[in-house]
Parts: sequence; C-alpha cells; structure tokens
Amino acid sequence: MTDLLQLLFAGLSQGAVYALVAIGFVAIFTVSGVINLAQGEFAALAGLVAISAVGSGLPLLAAVVLAVVSVALVAVIMERLVIFPVKRMTTLVSLILTLGVSTGLKALMLLVYGPNAEGLTPLTPGGFSVAGVSIRYQELWILLIAGLVSLAVYWFYERTLAGKSLRACAEQPVAARLVGISLTKASLISFLIAGTVGAIAGVLASPIYFTSWESGLTLGLKGFVAATLGGLISVRGAVLGGLLLGVLETLTAGYISTGLRDAVAFLLLIIVLVARPAGIFGRTAEARV
Amino acid sequence: MTLSLAACAESDDGGGGGGGAGADETGPIKIGAVLDITGAGASLGVPERQALELLAGQLEEEGGIDGREVELIIEDNQSTEDGAAKAMNKLVNEDEVDIVLGASRTGPSLAMRPIAESTETPMISLAANQAIVEGSEWVFKTAQNDRVVIERMIDYMAEQGWTTVGLARDASGFGEGVAEMFDEIGAEQGISVVATEKFAPDATDFTAQMVNLRDAGADVNVIWGIPPAAGLAQRAYDQLGIETPVMQSHGIGNQVFLDTAGDAAEGMVAPLGRLVVADQLPADDPQKEIITSFIDDYTAEYGAGPSTFSGHAYDAWQLAIDALSEEGTDPQAIREHLEGVTDFTGISGIFTMTPEDHAGLPKEALALVTVEGGQWKLVPDEGN
Repeated sequence: MTDLLQLLFAGLSQGAVYALVAIGFVAIFTVSGVINLAQGEFAALAGLVAISAVGSGLPLLAAVVLAVVSVALVAVIMERLVIFPVKRMTTLVSLILTLGVSTGLKALMLLVYGPNAEGLTPLTPGGFSVAGVSIRYQELWILLIAGLVSLAVYWFYERTLAGKSLRACAEQPVAARLVGISLTKASLISFLIAGTVGAIAGVLASPIYFTSWESGLTLGLKGFVAATLGGLISVRGAVLGGLLLGVLETLTAGYISTGLRDAVAFLLLIIVLVARPAGIFGRTAEARV
Repeated sequence: MTLSLAACAESDDGGGGGGGAGADETGPIKIGAVLDITGAGASLGVPERQALELLAGQLEEEGGIDGREVELIIEDNQSTEDGAAKAMNKLVNEDEVDIVLGASRTGPSLAMRPIAESTETPMISLAANQAIVEGSEWVFKTAQNDRVVIERMIDYMAEQGWTTVGLARDASGFGEGVAEMFDEIGAEQGISVVATEKFAPDATDFTAQMVNLRDAGADVNVIWGIPPAAGLAQRAYDQLGIETPVMQSHGIGNQVFLDTAGDAAEGMVAPLGRLVVADQLPADDPQKEIITSFIDDYTAEYGAGPSTFSGHAYDAWQLAIDALSEEGTDPQAIREHLEGVTDFTGISGIFTMTPEDHAGLPKEALALVTVEGGQWKLVPDEGN
C-alpha cells in the first residue's frame, strides 16, 4: 500500500509537469490549429535561464520570474517571425515550421549552456514523510502551481470574453473576423500563454527532473501525448491526460518493468488515436477534424 | 571539431625510429577521438575532450613527436551507438587517423570495436565494460574493468559482513552483465544479487526503482550508473528514507555527481580512481606526482578540477603518444607496443597490458572513496 501511494504520488507530480506542457499545446492549437513542437523547448529554455541566473547570483524568485518572462518573449517573437508571416497556415506546415524552431532552440541552448544536465534550486528544499510516503516540498509546489495555472487558463478560455473570442478564431475564422476579432492578435496571445505555461513547467520541474539542452524533446512528446488524450482542444482534458500519463508511467515502471516506462506514452497515443481520435475525455461533438 | 597543431619543424627525419615498412612517414601524425560530448554521456565526454585538448596543446608546445606535427581530430557521437560507428568510420576512412581514442561509454565503444578490428586500426576506449576488450586484437582501454571494480566492491562487502545485494543498474552497455558478475565473483564469499532494477542513462525519475530496492531488503544496495542519472538515483534513494548502506560504481568520479546527488551522497561508498582523492594520498604513492601535475595543469586551463573521466582520456593519450613516438605510425607496431606496456604509471592506475589483458589495471587501481561534507574522502580500508 505504501509503495502504491508512493508511486501514485511520484506519478502525479511528474504528470502535473506533463499537464502544463500539454496546456501549452492546447492553448495554441485551439486558436490557430498550429501544433507547436517547440513547446518542450520552452520548458527546457526556462529551466536553463533560471539555473544560469541563479548561478550568476540572482535570488531564486527573481531568476524564476526572469526565466518565465524571457521564455514568454521568445514565444511571442517566434509567433511573429515564424507563424504570423505564413499566409495559409495548415497543421502540417505548422509542424514543419515549429520543428525547425525547436531544432534551432536546441542548438542555441547547447551552444550557450553546454551539454550538461543541471537542476535548479528547489523553491523549498527538503521534504517530509507521511505514512511511509516520502514527499518533497518541491513536488507539492509543482502540484499546487500546476493546479492554479490550469485553473487560470481554463477560466480564461472558457469564462472570459477574450478567451472565448480566441476560441472563436479557430472554430469560425471568417465569422470571428466579421465580428471584429483580430486573428493575428489572437494567435499572438495564444503563444504568449503557451510560452508562459511551458516556462512555468520548466522551472517547476528542473529541481527534481533536471534540465539540459535536450530535455525538451521528451517533455514535449509526453506533453503532446497528454494533450492528445484530451483531444488537443480541451484544457481540462490536457490536465487529466497529463496526470493519467504520469501515473501510468510510474506504475508501469514500478510493477511491470522500468524499461517499458517510456513506451507507455506512445502505446497510449496509438490506442487513443485509433480508438478515440477526439480524446478519451472529450465529447465527440467537440471533434473539429 | 578539429584541433590542428602546427609543426615546429618541417623536416621529416623518420619519426621515432623504426616505423614499420609500410607506415606513412610524412605529414602530421593523426589521432582521432570519438567522445560522448552531447547526450547522456556528456558529463564524461566534455572533461575528456578538455583533457585531450589540453594535452594536445602541451604536445604542440613541445614540438610534437620528434618534430612531427600531431593532429587531434575530435568527433561527437552524441552518446549513441550509431553516432560512434559513423564517427569511427569517418576517422578511419576519411581522415586516415593513426590511432583512435574513445568512446566515453561502453555502448558506443562496442559499436566502434568491429570497425577497429576489421580496418586494423589501434583503438583505446575510455569506457568500463570488460566486453570492449575481451578477445580483441586491436582494441585497448584505460578505464578500470568492471570486473576489477566489482572485485573491489565484493572485498568491501565481505569485510562489512554483507551477503545480499540489491542492484539498480544502467540499462545501457555499461550495466550489461553487472548482476551476473556480482554473483560470479561474490560466490566464494556467499554474496549474491537478490534484486535487479534498471534505469535508462537519461532517466530523471527513480521512485519506482528505489521503491522496489527498498522492498527487496538487501544488506547493501548498489547503484551502477553515470551522472547525472547516478546522482539523481542516489537522491531518490535518500529521499525515500532508505537506511540500507549504498555503494556506487566507478562511473561517478566527477563533480556532476556531487552536484546532482548533493547531501544524499554523504556516506555512500564507491571504488574510484585515485584522482579524486589526490590531496589525501600518501607522499610515496607512485601515482601522486603524475596526478597532482595533471590536476594543476587542468585547473590552470579550465578553472575547475578534472574528473576521473578526464583521467581516462589522459591515460589513453599518453599510451598513444608513447606508442607513436616509439614505433612511428605502423599500426601493427603500435598494437604490439600497446600489448607490451609494462608498469606504465597513469592517472587511473599503473598499466601492465598483455595479449590477453587489453585493459591492464588490477583492482589496486581503485581506491574506496566516500563523500563527506560534499567532498571525496578516502575510506580507511586495508586496500587503500
């Protein structure tokens, strides 16, 4: 029982990180149909910026803020330089473009920060033990902040006029423009959100899971799988998908074989794409393909 | 990534005398290196590259080998097997190097071995697994064999009265065969592995493996991997509050391990090269002088101390230079020279190679080391 709880907890905190990355995918996809393969790199870059800022003497919180702001800026610049100029954006074109950005960002991070993996200082070091289950304070921070961020993004897209008008761009682009919603502004805002959320995932995960120039690849893939579990258009689905993926991975590693751990995500992806392309949590009515 | 060393003398007076009949005696001597500079092995490959570049620079200042220019060509295998094979092919076929150093880890080294054997190119690997040199003709290595490491660990376990071992090992080539070897060498002392867990070299979450080790309830647990994974595993172990003593392999001899494991490393015991405890070695230690001068040079160049991995690169370079300056560039002569190396004092130990043993280091090459206050500390033990 203790083992199960321990594994569940480890899976949830890992899953919360996947969930945040997944929200980034959803934030952009719902607005412009773009699948942003550089989403994982946002997280890696934020971790590296924060680590080097702490290394050069900045207080932890300032370093975290600096990392989130600069990655959000990178996301916005990326949108303006790579996505905005394309006249007829399709999901396929977006995959190729953002894969290019992802490769470029990786090369840049390798160049600037070197090849070694490092961890950021935890927000609160140490941990405690409840009923034989060890819990790190950082894991609580991950769960708490991931929860708050998910709620905020959910509330924005589902409950505010600005958020709804963003979603309108994807569902009825012409009608949205007719009622005065700016498509280009919407796309920019969606990248701003994705960059911010990805960066938060990066700085939260770094103290436990470490960051290197290439850690964005796995994180991005897992986040994408999580987002797909939720049908790519639902924030709630992305969060549930992330948590589910994290827990399944840890349970597989604990009870079946550690070698299968990374296979879980992709097995799940195949099953979902074949059996329920709209996502396991999504209503079929939400399918937009 | 080519570091070209200018020749100090243009004249070619035949090298170090006695180069084989077919050897190319003109132009620069070429040394190739295939290292895990990016990817999971970066914490090994980067210091190795730095050590090689430092040594190549020093050799250039001395005027090369008998006035002949020595060119060092470093390739990054990105910690992958196919990357290593590709790099090896390039070095052998395009650059036509005289000897190849690397790779940093077992898997990539094993991928290079058949190329070295079929093209008859001398190769000195920097990795640990004995399989790299077992039965080889052209391949040598400088890192202590996993077998002697395990012998050293078994000695310590027997001394402590431990008989059951829980093992969490690297799932790549480095960890291959380790559990079997523990059982084989430990059989005499009644020591055996009761649980084996694996982790990918780039894994980041170790909760599952460590929970299973905890349940196995062995006398001692062994984490067999390289940083940062080995350090993160050590952290997970400590974080789960497991009280059982833990030992690590010789794969952790760098600052990255201390940084990633942090406080969790305190009290852990590992057999490592003497480099990490150079300041604690007795004055009459035969390796002390060579280690200290390498540390001084390396620190002066890079502002931080070397790791045991840069020591493996140092040894491979010195063995190569020794062979090249004695024998010229004839591959067969180089191979025979390396096979006959006797009492060659290096950073990782004192090498004596034979046609059967292409690794050349006994278990005495390893010191038992622990971590105290974030620093490596020599363990008071009869073998040290």
